[in-house]
This record gives sequence, C-alpha cells and structure tokens, in this order.
Amino acid sequence: MNMNYQNQNQNQTQNQSNSAFMQDEDLLYTILSDLKRTVREYTTATTEASCPTVRQMFTQMTNDTLRMQGDLYNLMKQMNMYSTSSPALRQDVDKQIQDARNTQQKCRQFVQQKTSGMGQSAQASQMQASQMQPQQNAQNPYFM
Amino acid sequence: MQSGQMQAVTAKELEYIVDSISNEDLLIKQCAATAATSQNPTIQNACQQYIRSMDHHLEMLVQALQQHQSLAPNQPQQ
Repeated sequence: MNMNYQNQNQNQTQNQSNSAFMQDEDLLYTILSDLKRTVREYTTATTEASCPTVRQMFTQMTNDTLRMQGDLYNLMKQMNMYSTSSPALRQDVDKQIQDARNTQQKCRQFVQQKTSGMGQSAQASQMQASQMQPQQNAQNPYFM
Repeated sequence: MQSGQMQAVTAKELEYIVDSISNEDLLIKQCAATAATSQNPTIQNACQQYIRSMDHHLEMLVQALQQHQSLAPNQPQQ
C-alpha cells in the first residue's frame, strides 16, 4: 500500500484539549509506522531463522503484526486520518499490462528454451545416465 | 511449540529475538500512551486490544529465550 500521511490536525482539535500530549492522529501514525517496521523485521527474522520453532514463532508474529497494521490502517482511514494516493490513470495501467504481457511471453520462451527436451533427457538419464545430451545454451540468444 | 524440533539458537536468531522484544516493548508503550492521551473510545479500545496482542508476543519471545537456554553451549562452537 502506497499511502500518504495527511495532516489534518485542525479537524481533530475539537475533541482534544490543548494540553494533550500529541494529537490522536500523530500518535496513531507513529504506531502505524512502527507496526510497518516491525512487520518488516519479523519477515526478515523468519527468513533468517534456522531453528524450526523460532521460524514458526516469527511466522506467527509476522501474521499477527500484519493484521494489527491492517486494522489500524482501516481505523485511521475511517477517521479520515489517512488518504490514499490518487488513482493510477487508465493509460498507465494499459501500458503496464502491455509491458507485463511482453515480459511474461519472453519469460515463457526462456523457460521453453531451457526445458525443451528435458523430459526426454530425464527419461534417458534414468535408463542410461551416460547418454545425457548437453544443454542447448549455445543456441540461446540470452547468452550471446 | 514442538520440543522435538528444538535446536540451539544461532547468534543471529538471538539478535532478532532481542530486537523483537525491544520493538514490542516500544509498541506497547506507544499504545498505552495513546490510549491514555486520546478522548476517543474507539482509539482507546483499539489500543487496548493491540496491547494485549503485543504483550502476548513479548511473552512468547521471552519464553523462546528460556526454552533455548539449556541448549546453548558454554564454549564457542566451530
């Protein structure tokens, strides 16, 4: 989610006395920022964990913290404390779809080149391991 | 947690657990300060709920340290 923090302190002062430590909006935004940072750290910790029980614990905490971050974001959005960025234009979406299809097609071609004949090779290797065919890298334009 | 899968924590895992305890501690304090400052019951309830979840995380992290305590070697390992 790419959202922009919107400062609307004026709209909020009606419910808060001037002696308040900080505006609700600022306090919640601080918590939201730290929840986002903590989710990132839990994700990293999960990928770096070696012990299965530690990994399981970090996975659960990643999910819990993501849920809390989402809940708080929704709460702030309902209270008009957060505004999403403006919608992407149709022409930009169209352009990206075209590029993505192109990328996808090239990726599939690459996989096809790399894996064509692999089924035969795998079968051959099972029967006669010494007769494995060399790969066709020389014909691959991506290596030229 | 299944004790059968328990391994000694690596130095890196120990650092992540300690950093996580610090993160949860800070979040709990921020939520408590927000709940105390805000006049809005919705915000107060949400913060109380977050505090309960974060306190549970804190407890799990400390327990994880305790569970791995006896597995930690006394001498540096190769």
